[in-house]
Amino acid sequence: MLNSFNMASAFALAEALALGLMSGPACVASCGPVVVPTLLAERSGLRLHGLYLSTFLATRLCGYLLFAVLAWEFGNLGNLATLPTSARSLVFGPIHLLLAGALLRYAYSVGRTCDRSCKSAELVTIGAAGNHRIPGAAALGFLTGVSLCPPFVAAGVRAAEAASMVAAVLFFAAFFLGTSIWFVPFAALGWVRRNEAVITVARMAMVLIALYYFYAGLTILMRKNTYGF
Amino acid sequence: MASKFPPAKESRSIGRSFVLTIPIAIWSALMFTAYAHANRSQWIASLITVVFEVVLFFMMVRTRSTYRWRRWFFVALGLLFPVGFIHEVISMRGTMGIPIEEMIAGRTPFCFIPIPLLILPAALTKMLVFPGSILPNGGMSGGGMAAMAGIWLAVTIVVGKGWCSYACFFGGIEEGVASVPPRARVRKIDPRWRYGPWAVFLAMVLLSLALFEPAYCMWLCPFKAVSEYVAARNTVGVVQNGIFVVLFAGLVIALPLLTKKRTQCAFFCPFGAFQSIFNKTSVFDVRIDKSRCTPCVLCQKSCPTLSLTEESIASGKTLMSCMKCGACVDACPRDAAVWHIRGTEVSAKPERARLMFLYAAWAMAIMFGGGIIAEGLATMLHIFV
Repeated sequence: MLNSFNMASAFALAEALALGLMSGPACVASCGPVVVPTLLAERSGLRLHGLYLSTFLATRLCGYLLFAVLAWEFGNLGNLATLPTSARSLVFGPIHLLLAGALLRYAYSVGRTCDRSCKSAELVTIGAAGNHRIPGAAALGFLTGVSLCPPFVAAGVRAAEAASMVAAVLFFAAFFLGTSIWFVPFAALGWVRRNEAVITVARMAMVLIALYYFYAGLTILMRKNTYGF
Repeated sequence: MASKFPPAKESRSIGRSFVLTIPIAIWSALMFTAYAHANRSQWIASLITVVFEVVLFFMMVRTRSTYRWRRWFFVALGLLFPVGFIHEVISMRGTMGIPIEEMIAGRTPFCFIPIPLLILPAALTKMLVFPGSILPNGGMSGGGMAAMAGIWLAVTIVVGKGWCSYACFFGGIEEGVASVPPRARVRKIDPRWRYGPWAVFLAMVLLSLALFEPAYCMWLCPFKAVSEYVAARNTVGVVQNGIFVVLFAGLVIALPLLTKKRTQCAFFCPFGAFQSIFNKTSVFDVRIDKSRCTPCVLCQKSCPTLSLTEESIASGKTLMSCMKCGACVDACPRDAAVWHIRGTEVSAKPERARLMFLYAAWAMAIMFGGGIIAEGLATMLHIFV
């Protein structure tokens, strides 16, 4: 009995890992608009970029697990894609708006950070002044972690079939591991030499992408179609 | 912008100018066979177009001046493109709006601007995010994406960002608008806006990949206002079209009138940013001969895209965003701004470099723009002839 349980668990985790590896490009595409400009806005250096990605992925994992636990608790893990429109709007509309706000704040904070310590190997921080500031990468990782993207739905549907909440959470963790490998190449952006042009382009791009998330958040909240056809 | 030109340079003889124009006249005549159809107004329009192209090239050769003659062609291209295009769209569909049925069927006319947005999704998924066909007869243009992208790549490797000043059928509108006021009302422009096209490029490439759609075409293209808009069937569609109209009014009309610069090209167009990369492959560029430069910065003031700065003038080069329009060369009273072929001395026969560039650029302009000008003219002539 125990052996068959372990075998089943091992297979489930292997499946989650494989699912994560296979859907990694979709995750990278989904998170690309957030990760690429914010990474380009950081100082150069592989170490700093490694720190950024670690922070981003760690909080993204927290977002995943939180979502898995909540969805399991409310019995909707298997129905992520078919959640009632009202519930979906109330959850994902504000998340998009928060993402837009975080990106705008990030774009603003890049200038501040550079003014104060251009050569420091610290991540750009956002939030209130003083000790309340947190790394922007952490906020963005968490917010992308709780956003609904196609690979996430696929994992959610499969995790819903797990025997317990712990098994579902483990499934998500393994899935996360598989997808995270695809984020490692982003560290290579650390080799891109930073100057005023790169930082300005990254900040402007953040603003544009934030405007899109803002628009998407509003349309989700208003339960409109994203497209006008 | 170079509305006030310095004293004319020594003209080339008529006979020699005529001989140098012959290759372009032959090329135009070959293209004429492609423009002219059975319709009488089309035939007349094609003839006018060919004469227009050849005369302008002749004048460029004879006067040794590029910008002012090129501008006639480019503005005509920009203004006549919407005329012919809208007429064709309405003839085929009865509306300027693209309905979703046309998109699903892959019958959307393809323009060159989404090319950079297609690369990443195509590389990662082997799928095109543009709702058109890669095969011939795939779009209203009849050529399909593969043909358009292939021809664009071939010519752009040679002329670099010269594409944006000779073949882009949108840039002429703002160049025409910018040439209207006698002087700029807004002269101080924050140089950081020059990074705008790169930011739009980065954001649109990433969003195109994330949303699996040509994000620029869906949300930000100002020229949708004068080509084909979203067939709005709900509030969001109205918002999309509102964005197109506001961007067009701001970037293509209001700001060029105030600044006398090509503001959409200089501060917004993602294709222009992408095209800048090809300035590195092009053998032609514009240089500043430091031995002749005072510097009076007339070239910097004349540049419609802010591609010259005091630092770049000091280093003898234009910025990567140079569109090779020739405004700076024409504006320089000391002939310090010169056309140049990479790998040669800066002062080595700049007029020969200019002519070699012009043959390539004008042949491209005729191939891409000639048919558009002829079509627009034919549409207007059709009313009278």
